Parts: sequence; C-alpha cells; structure tokens
Amino acid sequence: MKHLENNAFSRFHPISLAVYFVAVMLITMFCPHPVILLLSLAGGILFSIRLTGTDAFAKDCRFYLPLFFLVTFTNPLFSHNGVTVLFFLNGKPITLEALMYGADLALMLFGVVFWSKCWGAVMTSDKLLFLFGKPFPRLSLVLSMSLRYIPLFKKKWQEIKDAQTALGCFSEGGFLSGIRSSTRIFSALVTWSFENTIDTGMSMSARGYGLKNRTSYSLFRLKRRDVFFILLTLALAASAVVGIATGALAYIFYPAASVPQDGSAILFYVLFGVLALLPFAEETREALTWRYLLSNI
Amino acid sequence: MEILALKHLTFSYPGQEQKAIEDISMRIRSGDFVVLCGQSGCGKTTLLKLIKKELAPHGNLEGEILYCNKPLYKTDDRVSASEIGFVAQNPEGQIVTDKVWHELSFAMENLGYENSAISLRVGELANYFGITPWFRKQTQTLSGGQKQLLNLAAVMTVSPKILLLDEPTSQLDPIAAADFIATLQKINRELGTTILLAEHRLEELFPAADKVAVMENGRLIAYDSPRQVCMTLKNNPISAGFPSAVRIWQSLEGKNECPLTVKEGREYLEENFEPSLCNHVSRKSDFGIPFIQMSDIWFRYAKEEEDILRGADVTIHGGEIFCILGGNASGKSTLLKLIAGLRKAYRGKIEILGKSIQKYKNGGLYRHMVSMLPQDPQTVFVAGTVKEDLLDICGIMGFSKKESENKINELSDRLSIGRLLDRHPHDLSGGEQQKCALAKVLLTEPKILLLDEPTKGIDAYAKLSLKSVLAGLRDDGLCVVLVTHDVEFAAENADRCSLLFDGELLEALSPEQFFSSNNFYTTSASRMSRGIFQDTITAEAVIAAGRAQWKD
Repeated sequence: MKHLENNAFSRFHPISLAVYFVAVMLITMFCPHPVILLLSLAGGILFSIRLTGTDAFAKDCRFYLPLFFLVTFTNPLFSHNGVTVLFFLNGKPITLEALMYGADLALMLFGVVFWSKCWGAVMTSDKLLFLFGKPFPRLSLVLSMSLRYIPLFKKKWQEIKDAQTALGCFSEGGFLSGIRSSTRIFSALVTWSFENTIDTGMSMSARGYGLKNRTSYSLFRLKRRDVFFILLTLALAASAVVGIATGALAYIFYPAASVPQDGSAILFYVLFGVLALLPFAEETREALTWRYLLSNI
Repeated sequence: MEILALKHLTFSYPGQEQKAIEDISMRIRSGDFVVLCGQSGCGKTTLLKLIKKELAPHGNLEGEILYCNKPLYKTDDRVSASEIGFVAQNPEGQIVTDKVWHELSFAMENLGYENSAISLRVGELANYFGITPWFRKQTQTLSGGQKQLLNLAAVMTVSPKILLLDEPTSQLDPIAAADFIATLQKINRELGTTILLAEHRLEELFPAADKVAVMENGRLIAYDSPRQVCMTLKNNPISAGFPSAVRIWQSLEGKNECPLTVKEGREYLEENFEPSLCNHVSRKSDFGIPFIQMSDIWFRYAKEEEDILRGADVTIHGGEIFCILGGNASGKSTLLKLIAGLRKAYRGKIEILGKSIQKYKNGGLYRHMVSMLPQDPQTVFVAGTVKEDLLDICGIMGFSKKESENKINELSDRLSIGRLLDRHPHDLSGGEQQKCALAKVLLTEPKILLLDEPTKGIDAYAKLSLKSVLAGLRDDGLCVVLVTHDVEFAAENADRCSLLFDGELLEALSPEQFFSSNNFYTTSASRMSRGIFQDTITAEAVIAAGRAQWKD
C-alpha cells in the first residue's frame, strides 16, 4: 500500500477535490455517450492505478471483468429493441444495439465504481470531516469521536477475548457456543465503553466543551492553486454540459445506433478527456518531477 | 502570590456517612510544585475534582476554596476552563478526537479561538512538547506515554495557571513515566505553572517537589517540604511508597537531614556504615520439576511484520516466581500469550508439564493448568458484581454449588476481598480490581499462573499485599511467571529474573546476581549501596545489612 496521504492530487483542498469528483461522476452518470464514458473509465482506472498500484488493479480486474461482461450480456436478454438481429434465443431476437447498450451501461457502472474507489482513497476522514464540519460543526465532532472509537473497540474486543479465553471460556467449539461467547465479550465491552465514555466526557468538560461560540479548526487552507483548480474543473464540466444541452453529445442506441458525429463533438471529447485525465496527469507530473530531481542529485 | 487556598474543606458523597474529605486547609503559592500522596481511596481524586469546577462531584460541601483570592465556584466558566487544567489517570479515555492535531486544537475551539491563533499556538506547542513527528497521526497509533503527553499538551494549549494531575503516570512504563515527570518539571520551571500532582510513584518526584501533601482517610496529615515530611512521618504506613533512600534512612533511624536521591542516599550510607562485602542473603536455588519448557520460539504477528521473538529458550519450574523484565514492546506480553496458548509460535516448541501445548485440546490447558491475569484486570470481568463473576468461573469449571461457595469463601479470605464481593467490578480501585481479577483467575486452580504487569496502576500498599499473595502461591507449589517493568517489585519477589532483549531471553539469574551485576537496569537500593554492601538490591536488604554495620 502506498502512502495515500502523499499523493499529489490528494493534496488539493477538500473543496476542490469534492467539486472535481462530483463533476466527473455527475457527467459520467448523466451522459450515456460511449466516448465520454470510455474517457471517464480510462481516467478513473489510470488514476486508481497511480493511487494503489498495478497489482491492486490486476486483482480488481479478476473480479470486475466477469462482472463487466455479465452486465453487458444481461441487457440483450431482456431488451429486444434494435434493428440488427444477431441471432434468436428461445425465439427472441438478440440485437447488436441491445448488446451495445449493455456495454454502455457497464462502462457507466464501472466508470462510477472506479471514481468512487479513487474518492475513497483520496477523501480521507479528515477531509470529509472538514467538508461536513463547515455546515454541521456538531456532526463533525461526533464523526471524529466515532472514528476514534472504532479502532479502540477492536483492540479492546481482542483483549477481552484473550482474557476470557485464558479463563477457559471458549473451549467448546460449535456455532451456539460461538454466539454465546461473542455476547459475553460484547456485554463486557459495553460496560467498558460506558466507563471510558465517562472519562472522555470529563476530559471534554474540563477543557471547556459546551461553552458558547465554539470555533472549528482545520489544517486545510484554500490556496491559489486550489481556486485555479476549481475554476478549471468548472469550466471543463460546463463545456460537457453545453455539449449535452446542445445535443452534440447525444447518442441514440435504438432503433439503430447513431454514428459518432465529427466536427464540434470532437472538441467536447477533448475537453472532457482533459477533465477525466487531470488527476492522472497531476500524479504523473509529480512522479516525473521526482524522477528528474533524483537524477539530478 | 497565593493561587489556591482551601479553608476547612469538608466533603461527603450523597448517602454516605463517611466524609471523603475532612477539614482540609492548605495554601498553594503560585509556581509551586506540590505532590499529593496517600493510599488509594484516601480522597486524593475527590480533592482534585473539587478544585476543578467542571468536574466537582455532587455532595455535601463545607468550607471554602479560593482561586486567586476569589471563591472558586464563582469564577467565570471561561476562566475556569482555561486557567485550571486537569489531566486524569487513563491516557486513552481522555483523548476525544481521532487526530493528534485535532486533539491539540480541541480546547481552543471550545473557547472560540480564531483559526490563525490556533495555528500559531498549536505550532509552538507541538515544538515545545516534541509532538511534531506525530502531529498528523491518528491518536490511536500512539503509545501510552505519547497519549499522556498529548493529554498534557492539549491542556497546555489554553495556558493554564495551575495544573491538576490525578496519577497521570500510573498506567505508563517507568521510562515514559520519567519523561512525563520531566516534562512537568520543565513546565513548572520554564513557564511558572503551578502544579498539584497526585501520585504514588514517588521515587523521582520527591527531589523535584517544592511541597508534599500527605492524605490519610480524607484528612491532610502533613503538608511541608519533602525532606520535612520524610522526617516527621516516620512510622506511618504511607512511607512504604516513599523513595528507597528515605525508607532506608527512616528504618535505620538516621539523624540530621533525610536523603531524597540515590546520590544523597549513597553519601548517607558511606558516612554512617562500615563497608561489608560478604554475602548476606541466600535464596532458593533448587527448584522442582520443570513446568514450562520453551525451546527456540519464533513469533511474529503477521507475515510481513518483523519477528518479535527470535529463538527464545527458557525452563521455568514449579514452586518458583519467575520474572521476565524488558523494555516497552520487547515482546514480554507476547511471550506470556504464547505460554497461555493464545498465540501460536511459527517455529519452536512449548511444553507444559512435559506435554506439548498443542496436545491440550478443548480447553484442557485452562482446566487446573494455566491461567493468566491480563494487564488490564477489567477485561476479566463480565458480570455485575464481583461475586457473580466468581460464580461465573465456578460454573465454567463445573463446580457444584456448595463447592463454589466454599472455594469463593476461602479465596476471598486469602485475598481479603470479602467486603468487595457485592460491588461492581468497575467501581473498585486499581489494586482492588486486580485482587478480584486474581481471585477469578485462581478459581481455575492453575498450576501455572501468568501475570502481565501486575503492579501497573497500584499503590505501594497494594503491592505489599500482592507480594504476600504471590509468595503464598509459590509456597503452594505453583509456578508463577510475571512480566513487568517494575524492577523494584521484581527484586523483592522473584526467585529468578531474566531480561527479554532482541527477541531472546537472556540467562536467568537470581535477583541478587541479576540486579547487582546490572549498572543501569537495576533498583535504586542497588545503586545506592553498590560497593558498600554486597548484593543488597532491595531497601529491606540494605536496612538489614546496615543494622549489622554501624560505624561507632
């Protein structure tokens, strides 16, 4: 696992990142044009490879590829629209258009999946807290406290389990006694967490929690780079919206698949391509910078 | 200037006859370092909480508390929150948020500081406390010592004038504890912050303190300079927790000034006693049959992690107390878990009473064989009262009702926990919890008893009672294995000691050999008497040797 905190792209301000991810994912979801979807998927895959490495991607493919084909081939089984009949199955026509539409759906699905994966890797808890902390300061503190409790619970669970095992509590195997022993640990854990919460509560009030005019501090500062990035994202996303609105990015599968238009459509492809490949480009630029710096040392 | 004054303070909890605090009057000057000591349950925590308005317990309060010459309970909430800092015992429970930086900013957020002010303060503070390397880490990944340092730093962000600390080092290992105390001294010296510290580990604290306050059953029985307190409180049970030098001086009825440090203690011994380098003590050297045999044990938690044990070998017998010493994260607890069958070594062999540990099936290992008291005694309890918990284990062992009653009565006499049986396990003090947990563990009637850091968080008095319990078990033929940081406790109790270092157990020696040959990893008494008396590694041994070697 690489150090995700150290990725070039994830160093943008959370607001910039949120704007970017939301823009790309919305376009992916609402523009069924195959070229756009291909570009989006490519951008998502390249970025996720930069984030988690080729090994992780290869592992993912073992699971995603069969799923991709499953989605692709499911559509023609249920939808019999389209003019180009490939063959008949149980007396129903299987059409090329339905197959293409299935592939298009799969592209969209996996585009969103890969972008979501990247979102998960980049938008770490502190970034999310910052985003939600602005409008809901209470919620953000509660989230931060819960995030602290989860690993604490895990650790305590193991400790209690060890202690009880060494007392000979879980010697019989079997499903029922497994459940019984889990409830045993759980009840001890609940008691422990009550005690611990009292300590936490004391520590909070001792440090003035509950006074008026609480502020919310964060380590994130909006720099010029972040503002520029937001503007660029919005401009590129706006071009896609224009493309969709004017029909330049419209694509029809039924009854016959439309042929990709030339001219203005290419401009829209390029602009969206730039948008989709921004994170990958940023990561690559930084990787190259490091390599260049290293070779100079 | 007087920062804090208590005037005839008396307090009792609702529904309780006995007064938790009785007629305490004391004045604390601004900038003083005051150490508050006394047995567990003497009212230290109650007193500290009464001084922190936000934490003051409900109950019947008489007398007066003045903060900067004004009644404490009438001070503004903001003033109280920022000027009076409080650090409690449990390093983990006090941390509120998931990131170190967020924890540091928490108090300032509550008080409504601006972002830029918070940045600046957090920055300078992280530098002062040496937190910078782990500034962006998750609080969960820190060690106990780091957590407690973070708690202190988090309180210091709003520049308190007085710090109240309730046994802050009791859950830390000795090195982390010494670091924490050193940081406190630095704060006191460089920032002039007044410190009121309740503590039972007093060895390093007495030389550092301006004043020592001693409490007994809710009363203040002494409040003076450390030296003066040591000279007045001579035959008081509380002195069991005093530094070794003080205990030796008191027992040998020293005259003049009482020594507080190892250095002063050496001077005192050199001046008053004839050196004698013949051996006084002989401890048990022939042991029974081997109970635990470990050979060439290798262990790591996950495939990609580093080895924790690298070929550990040891043989431990019945009828001995075997101490495993070692630094933080040296693998001591892991070794114990391997013997308890909770983890499996990937190489090597462990035999329990001549039978390989893998051959004990269906919990056979835990029936009349091996039992372990974990580091946190709370993890042993699952029921609502101590009695129910003890009955629970009797049920698991399959004792009949009458048998259970008898066994519980016998054990509760032996450990003197009779009056605790109807209480909730979590309401007990650290020492009491441990005794009750030990009772539960002993009900499995083990031949091998494993103890993980048994002296963590308990006071000197509880240590004495643990000492006699362990000696009794040893004499009954049990094999007692304990891992500990506490060199003083090991020196007093062990039959053999071994140091776990670099994944291996070094040669097991008698404590006399072990501690008198060590220069650094040894007891204060040994450091103090080195070259004057032979093999005197405990305060008791120095006292005995001293009685025989008076100078005229």
